[in-house]
Amino acid sequence: MAAKSIGGPAPAAWLAIAGLVLVVVVPFVAIVLQAIFPNLGQGSFSGPFSSFIATLNDGALIGMAGNTILLGACVVLASALMAVPLGVFRALYRVPGAALFDVLLLVPFMIPPYIATLGWIMTLQPRGYLQQLLGFNLSPFLFSLAGMTMVMAFNTFPVVYFAVSRTVEAVGARYADVGRVFGATPARAFWRITLPLSAPGLAASLMLVFAAAIEEYGTPAALGRRAGFQVLVTGIDLRISDWPIDLPGASIMSLLLVGLSLVTFLGQRWILSRRSYQTVNGKPTSKDKRPLGALKLPVVLAFSIVSFLATGVPLLSILATALSRTISGGLAFDNLSLDNFLAVFQNSAGALGALANSFSLGIGTALITGLIGVTAAYTVVKTKIRGRLAIDTLTIIPNALPGIVVAVGLILAWNMPWLPVTPYNTGFILLLAYCCILLPQPMRYATAAFQQIGDNLEAAARVFGASGVTAFRRILLPLVFPSLASAMLLVFALASRELVASVVIAPVGMQTIATFIWRQFEQGSIGLGMAMAFIAILITTLLPLTLLALLKRSGLVAE
Amino acid sequence: MFKSLKSLSLGVVAAALMAGVAHADVTVYTAGPQSLIDKMSEGFTKETGIKVNVFQATTGKVMARIEAEASNPVVDVLISASWDTATDFEKRGWLVKYSSPNAAKVPDFLKSDYAVAQGISALGIAWNTKSGTPKPTEWADLTKAEYKDMVNIPDPAQSGSSFELTAALAGQDEFKLFKDLQANGAIIAGANAEALNPVLQGAKAAVFGAVDYITLAAKKKGESIDVIFPASGTVIAPRPAMILNWSKNQDEAKKFIDYMLSDAGQKLVAAQMLMPARTDIPADRPLIGDLKLLKFDNAAVYGKRKETLGEITKIFGGK
Repeated sequence: MAAKSIGGPAPAAWLAIAGLVLVVVVPFVAIVLQAIFPNLGQGSFSGPFSSFIATLNDGALIGMAGNTILLGACVVLASALMAVPLGVFRALYRVPGAALFDVLLLVPFMIPPYIATLGWIMTLQPRGYLQQLLGFNLSPFLFSLAGMTMVMAFNTFPVVYFAVSRTVEAVGARYADVGRVFGATPARAFWRITLPLSAPGLAASLMLVFAAAIEEYGTPAALGRRAGFQVLVTGIDLRISDWPIDLPGASIMSLLLVGLSLVTFLGQRWILSRRSYQTVNGKPTSKDKRPLGALKLPVVLAFSIVSFLATGVPLLSILATALSRTISGGLAFDNLSLDNFLAVFQNSAGALGALANSFSLGIGTALITGLIGVTAAYTVVKTKIRGRLAIDTLTIIPNALPGIVVAVGLILAWNMPWLPVTPYNTGFILLLAYCCILLPQPMRYATAAFQQIGDNLEAAARVFGASGVTAFRRILLPLVFPSLASAMLLVFALASRELVASVVIAPVGMQTIATFIWRQFEQGSIGLGMAMAFIAILITTLLPLTLLALLKRSGLVAE
Repeated sequence: MFKSLKSLSLGVVAAALMAGVAHADVTVYTAGPQSLIDKMSEGFTKETGIKVNVFQATTGKVMARIEAEASNPVVDVLISASWDTATDFEKRGWLVKYSSPNAAKVPDFLKSDYAVAQGISALGIAWNTKSGTPKPTEWADLTKAEYKDMVNIPDPAQSGSSFELTAALAGQDEFKLFKDLQANGAIIAGANAEALNPVLQGAKAAVFGAVDYITLAAKKKGESIDVIFPASGTVIAPRPAMILNWSKNQDEAKKFIDYMLSDAGQKLVAAQMLMPARTDIPADRPLIGDLKLLKFDNAAVYGKRKETLGEITKIFGGK
């Protein structure tokens, strides 16, 4: 389309490329080099490719790769089954208490997966909270593929829910109404018009879920090992934690994970490239939603059950543990104590410093990934410059890199002796790690949003004399801002709780929320760790909500 | 809005800078408890004026960091949770020879020319006293019907001392004990803390080979848990402290080792419910003299590590 050549791609493209090189290319190249040259850490390039055969010959590898794909597919399926119906109802109908449910379904984002898993274990295992309250436990279910899928799906399905509800809302009932006018039944209009037009958001979010599921460490490590279910990430972690450390082997297995993720990404791209999904074209749309009618009760019930399981159970379990004087005391009044919360506020073991560190890092990561994400997405979708696909691919790589491998790559890259200045051993290295790991989020959301914006809007702005930069800033940015803002809030939440990379790469003497909690667990102070987790979840939920409310008032984000 | 975003991001950058930059005189990587190293650094700085910068993680994560940093290392003193590290680093020629004057009261088997123990942990049976099961006294007790499906075993692949216990016991009876445990529903349950947590809540009754100091600290906090050291013998894990030969602060590092082995330093170790390395420092817990140690050939056991772990995986059914 000719309109695509209008505009000033240069500044956005250069900014995106510079950011991507710094945040993604540097650590990724270090990992590739480490995979090829086993002695890279000692600064030597000897014995290239000597680790490949040993690593790839490991008989367990195929089983682990198979398990990884199986788990990823199960989580995607479970997330879609829960999130798509809820998202569609939320978008097209007046669901009573919709705003409240939005908040409740936002919380699972804020609960670190390893904490949620521990919460589920403490609830469902024999003599866990469920048994203490109702007299039975669900331990055999929890420690199985089904249990793992459930815990991980409850943690990730909000990605799909919010993507579906926002994109379906943007598509609106208008296109379906046109179908109705021409004689389609409501079901047919939904299946043939609304759902296909919402495909970019749905596909992007399902891909994020898949990538998150194959990269997730905490849940498979805690639940899967007992079921004898090894995945690639737990295999990688073992190679890095088990002396002698096998960094080349871990790097090679990570590249395998990246390959897996790239295949799904290219699949998603292929599906989307077959047609246009532009639905935002500047014509006014009515945001009137329909009443639910007879469906009101079942829909509200479904929302309530999912909210309770995804948010209520883990939160209550965390709170119960944090409020217990001793774990063996169980749920009893004389075991109730605020000691753990007091310990956090008295800054025991540096708790307050950890909170401050994590939140400033979270804000920094959200701003940087937001900026790189929106410029990269614009470059990929709205310009025709060469190498678009390379940029798009670069933003997908971190999605599949396990956090611990990103950490190793960053150390290899930034701890080279000849570098005059280096972020290593300062807080900046954590910022780089988080930006690398989380960049895919704003990038995917912004790409989906740009894909729905008609080119005529930017073209119109240019016709009326706006420069490329002005058109981007005044027309496109406000249109993608709702998607971008939610992605940045997500990044903030994820960054402020990142564990796996932080444990290895944190500068000496610096704690984050996640490393603090992890250390408490390691020392057996589960209650203190859970108190910290609860406070962190509370803040990461309330802060973005306040921010969104402020933005709404200032008119930057539509209701 | 962009202005405010700009100033906000500047603030973040400044905050991150402030948090990150701190020039310490001695850098310690430790696999020991965070609270121990915090108190020890504080005491050391008070006494000598030398600042301490700390990185704390599990032995595996500390090693991964040292390995990745190898071309430009920053660590001066390393405290590992496994003596195997000291042997291996000595072989690689990475350590500085040092015998602290304060190490005189440390028994010979807890020190070498290159490393000295900070403290010692032992493995025992961690048992939930409210579990409704009889108090176990021997490893083999946990194969009895009373403990059916109630036993956790820390993963020997993830903990050096668990591996030594596994290898030593398996060497006595060709893995029969572990086969019996498996037949009785015992499971391999992650690293040390992961294995203990279900026992605290009561989902399991006992940990087969729990790290004693974490369990004893939990008992001190009021958890209904106890540690039993079987009379047939157990293994100990001395935690070696060593100075790396690339350290540019070797004098300060030596002073840190001296402080670690001083009366004050060793009392801090005892307060964590670890056994102090020095025999003349009292501790409120069973000491090495009270424990019977399993005899095994360290070199042979580590030489067959892969085979032993493979056999355990086979028995406990990794897929």
